[in-house]
Order: sequence, then C-alpha cells, then structure tokens
Amino acid sequence: MSEPETVELLIGPQHPGSGHMRLVAEVDGDIIIKFEPNIGYVHRAVEKIAETKTYLQVIPLVERPALADASNHNLGYILALEKLLDVEIPPRAQYLRMLLCEINRIHSHLYGLGIFGNMIGSSTMFEWAFQDREPLLELSQQLTGARLTYTYIVPGGVRRNLPADFKNNILKVFSYLEKRFVDYNKLFVNNPVTIARLEGVGVISKTDAARIGIVGPNLRGSGVPYDVRKVEPYCAYNEIDFDLITEEAGDCYARLLVRREEMKQSIRIVRQILDKMPDGPYFADKYMKMVNPKMKELVDQSGVLRFPALFTALKPAKGTAISRVEASRGELFYYIVSDGSAQPYRLRMITPSFKNVAGYKAALIGQRLADVPAVYGSLDYFPPEADR
Amino acid sequence: MMDATATAVQIILAIWHFIISPEFFIPIVFPGLITVLVVLLGLIWFERKLTAKVQLRYGPYYIAKHVGGVIQLMADLMRYLFQEFIIPKDADKRVFVLAPIMLFTLTLLPVIAIPISSTFTAIHSDLTLLLVPTLATLAPLLVIIIGWSSNNKYSFIGSLREGYMIMSYEIPMFISVLAMAVAYNSLSLIQAVQKQTGIAWGLVINPLAAIAFFGALLMTSSRFPFDVSEAESEIVVGPYTEYSGIFFIFCLGAPYIKLYIYSLFFSLVFLGGWNPLVTPLTASPIINAILSGIVLLIKAGIVMAVAVYMRTIFGRFRIDQVLKLGWHKLFALSILAVILSLVLVGLGVL
Repeated sequence: MSEPETVELLIGPQHPGSGHMRLVAEVDGDIIIKFEPNIGYVHRAVEKIAETKTYLQVIPLVERPALADASNHNLGYILALEKLLDVEIPPRAQYLRMLLCEINRIHSHLYGLGIFGNMIGSSTMFEWAFQDREPLLELSQQLTGARLTYTYIVPGGVRRNLPADFKNNILKVFSYLEKRFVDYNKLFVNNPVTIARLEGVGVISKTDAARIGIVGPNLRGSGVPYDVRKVEPYCAYNEIDFDLITEEAGDCYARLLVRREEMKQSIRIVRQILDKMPDGPYFADKYMKMVNPKMKELVDQSGVLRFPALFTALKPAKGTAISRVEASRGELFYYIVSDGSAQPYRLRMITPSFKNVAGYKAALIGQRLADVPAVYGSLDYFPPEADR
Repeated sequence: MMDATATAVQIILAIWHFIISPEFFIPIVFPGLITVLVVLLGLIWFERKLTAKVQLRYGPYYIAKHVGGVIQLMADLMRYLFQEFIIPKDADKRVFVLAPIMLFTLTLLPVIAIPISSTFTAIHSDLTLLLVPTLATLAPLLVIIIGWSSNNKYSFIGSLREGYMIMSYEIPMFISVLAMAVAYNSLSLIQAVQKQTGIAWGLVINPLAAIAFFGALLMTSSRFPFDVSEAESEIVVGPYTEYSGIFFIFCLGAPYIKLYIYSLFFSLVFLGGWNPLVTPLTASPIINAILSGIVLLIKAGIVMAVAVYMRTIFGRFRIDQVLKLGWHKLFALSILAVILSLVLVGLGVL
C-alpha cells in the first residue's frame, strides 16, 4: 500500500484565519487540490424565528446576522414588507434611508479592509481601519441613537429626523476619511508586499463569477458591471449620480481596489444626498394619523418617532413580496409570504455572504496554502451573515 | 585573625577575578545571558510600544504606569510560568520537552565568540568571523525537530517552511560574510573592527554585503515581512502551535535572541564595532570592555529597532516568494558583494 501523497488540513473553526467556520483543504505539497468551506457553525435560525415574531419584531432579528451592515439588511426587509402594506413613503425618508445605508457601506468596507490586512499580516492596517470606523459609528449614533444595530428603518419611513448639526459633522468625518484613504494607499494598497501577495492570486474569471453567482464587490472585481442600485434602483438611487466600479483582473487585488473605490463613491453619494435632501415628513402620513395627538406633539418637538399602536400587530395583506437591495457585501434578497396574520408565514433571506462562499472553491483550487487567508480577506466573507 | 581576614579577602578577590574574566563575563554577564534577558524584555516592550504608537494605540500601559509599562513583559512572563504545560498525547514526549530548551540554549551559544573590546574575548581565535554565524546555524535545526515532535500538521508545515528558509538565507549570509572577510583580509572580528577604524565602516566599504546580510538577518529572526514560518493567520505560529507555558516562551524568545546575536554581529562587521572607542580610556580592562561593549550594544540596539519596526509597515510574504527573494535577489547580491570586495582589494583601496 502506498503512502498518501496529499495532506488533508482542517482549518478552523478554532483557527485565527478561519472565522466561524471550517475550511477543509487538501494540499499536495503547498498546492491546494481540493477545498471545501464547511459553513453553518453560527447558524441561528433567523428565518424560523421570524415566523414566531410580529413584523416589527423581525427588524432587529434580520439586522443581527450582519453586524457591520445592519441598515442594509433592515432596508431590504422593510422594502419587501412595504410592498404588502401598500404605503406611500415620503421622499425625505427615502433619502434618510439611503444616507444611513451608505454610511454603513463605508463602515462595512472598512471592517473588511481591516480583516483583510490582518489576514495577510499587516496588523497596522487592521488597527487603522478598525479605528476609523469609530467616527462612522458616532455618526450613526447621532442619527439613530445606536452604534451598530439601529432598527432605524421602519415600515412607512424612518425612526428619527436628521439632527441639526449632522451635516457639518459628516462633512468633517469625510474630509478626515479622505485623508486616511491616502494613508491606506501608502501603507497597504501600494505596499510591494501586499501587491506581491495579492496580484494574480485567487483569480475568478468573468464567466466563472457569473456562473457560480457570487455577488457585490467580488462580482464587480471580476469585471461584471452589476449593482442592484443601478440595475433596479430602489429608494432614490436613480436620482443620485455615482459610478459603478469594476475591475477586470478578478484577483484578490482587484477586489481590494473595488472596495477602496466604492468607499469613495459612497462618500460621493452621501454628499449628494445631503445636498438634495428634500424637506417634509419622514414618516408616512397613513401611519402618522394614527399616533395620538399628545404623542404627535412630542414627536414634532423632538424629531423622534413614537410608533402608532397599530404597529404592535401590523397585519399586511395576504400574498408574497420580494425585494432586492445592494448590501455592502453584495445583493441581498428577501422573500416574505404573508397569510394575513401578524406574523410572517415564511421569511426567506438570501445574504450576499452565502452566495460569496462559492467563490472560495473557484478562487482557491491550484493556489498555495498561504493564499487561503488572502482569498478569505478579499472575499470579505462574514460567517454569521452566511449562516443566518 | 589577620590571616582569616586576608584569606577571606583573597577568596573574594579570586571570585571577583573569576567574574570579570572574559571566559565567565562574556557568556554569563555581558553580552551573554543576563544582558540577553534584559535586552529581550526591553526589545519586546519596545516593539510593542512602537507598534502601538504607529497603530494609534497605547501598548503596554498599566503595569508601572509612569515608565510606560516597561515591566509588562515581566507580568506576561509570570503568567506563562504558572500556565499548565500541556504535552500532546501523540507527541514524541522527550524530544517535545527537550527541544525548546536546546533551542533556547543553542540560539544563545554564538555569544561566546563575540568580543566586546580589542582585548576582551572569551575565545582567543582568529576565526570568530566564521564562528558566530556557524554556531548560529545550529538553532534552526531544532525548530525542525520541534515541528516533527509536536505531531501536528500545522507545526509540521511550519517547520518545513523553516527548513526551506534556512537554505535561502544562510547561503547569502555566509557569502556576504565572505565578502567582508575578503575586504578585511581576516577572519577575526577584532581585526575586522581594527580595519574599519583605519578605513571606513563596513557599511561604506561594501554596502551590497550589508544589504544582503540585513535581509538574511530579517529572515533568520522571523521578522516581518519574512514571518512565514510562524504566520499566525495561516498556520497558527507554525512549529510552536502545541506549546504552552514557559516552553512557549523559550520558543518565542529564540528568534529574538537570534536577532540580538546577529545585530551584535552586524554592528561588529558593518557598523565599526566599538568605534569610536578604540583607544582605551582607563587602565582597567574590564571597565574598557564595558564601555566599548555599551557602544556596541547601542549600535546593535539601532539594528534591532529597525528590524522590529518592519512589523508595522509590512504584511507577510508567501513562502515561495521568500525563497525566490533569497535565491534570486539576496544570493545574487551577496555574489556581487564578493566581486566588489575583490575589485576593491585588487585596486588597492583596502
């Protein structure tokens, strides 16, 4: 009997480079010949739990899987729900929703960039990116009262109006971030070691990317110009001018560059949002009428919404609805089946990370063992989001 | 009564002479064991503090606040001392326990061949230029043994990586030492320093050799960007995955000691050794030795600081890239350095 010539390596779930999952790699020498991401370690049954909660209680639930990207998940769910509710959303609320989602996008990309840096050994990039999330968290707190999971977007509008000095603060943060992006380029993006590690590594070709169905920055990094914000604009993205970032190479470095440029685009989008922000109510009239008059006075004074009593048992029409939004890590899909009761009959969420997990196999076969963390970081994979 | 006092004085004097004799002083006190431990604590503290500064953090802070947490490392050491030492069931137990101790000791060994002034040496040899790197090549073999005895896939991969790296850094290192031996026309560290007093520092005479040697120094001491054999996010500190407690400290300390030894060596060969303290200041040889040793230590400290600073700016290369760099760049560079030395000697500059 001959000795086996390959080694099966179990990376994780207790491994600094695996996240909350197990990567099963079979290596021949240093070359990976088989690779299986083994997901499901942080499955929390979000879809099943949703069937036992009222529609409003589902919001915090669907936010939880994606820590850094809570408001995009929130928005996707609400967009689907509103199709069943038949409610007119005031334009100011649309803009406020976009504002928070874009802040979240920068936040999420910074988070990914930090993890990416740590994965290939640049601890400084990790610290810098994680610290520069802080001003964005502070902004979210000013706008919504919470730092991470906001539950800001509710059926009919948003929970709070724009604070008075918010515009000044956010412009200050952006001028700071733009300075920092230059530093990132110097330290990490243009660093010869980074380029040596990432260029030509983990290539996913254009056809492969489309075939296996990866989404978001990873898809655009392979040269497919697909972004839900452009293809099927929701909220008021059709009124905003921004570029669709694509890179042709499809390697880890291309994905890094796409994320870096998308942060700049998000800043551009937020600047436009602040300029174009329409006046008017931030919560649908249909529901605002149901708030009792004394409460309404308080709401008008403080700019903080009090829910109408109806919300405790919101009953949308019988039927099904879907929504698609572009979350930070890619296309996010919701499907709601309503049987006319206060709880959803079925909630299906297909998260971007769940789709991106297919990217591992496509990118890693034939690469070296040391490329596993590089590809992991470049896909910006987030296990809780994939496992739900 | 007088006799007893005289005898006591004599015994104390004898002990004192023994302590300040180079054969004891160099390996045990300075630049040997005691200095190594102090340098180790200081260097790791400095590395953490510097990295923290760049990364906009505080670093070690709470233990001894007013001196910047300098004894944090002592606290960490205590914590590791009291940690349970786990020997894996499938490990080769005897080797598993002995290898880190031998690694630590053998890494420290080359210090005996390092002179700290022109007269103060533990080994009276004309081959010290060769002896230091030769003794230093013993330690990496222990890393391979550690990886093998742990019986863990990650340790095994880590020690294989170390094995590949040995080849790619040691050859350029020895060839660049050869280049300097040609330039100084000697294999003695003392004469190398004397030569540098006359002409210029080795760094100026043959910068190619200095660059090749520094590159190899970073590789051998597992500094970034050549951290591949211990890569945390890839193979979980490589050969040392299974270790805990004080044995883990031995393993982690070894690369730092290696860095210290090679920095001393680099200062002697390329940075003029104890220059400008060439002429003895006092009549006592031990005080002279300490003074010139301090000059040497400061130079080595600068080299070590540069080496640990790399952590903050670079990521980590891949193993094949490191090997390529070693064989294609450093090896070529060291050959060029030899040619440069030969040309300089041929032209009669040296």
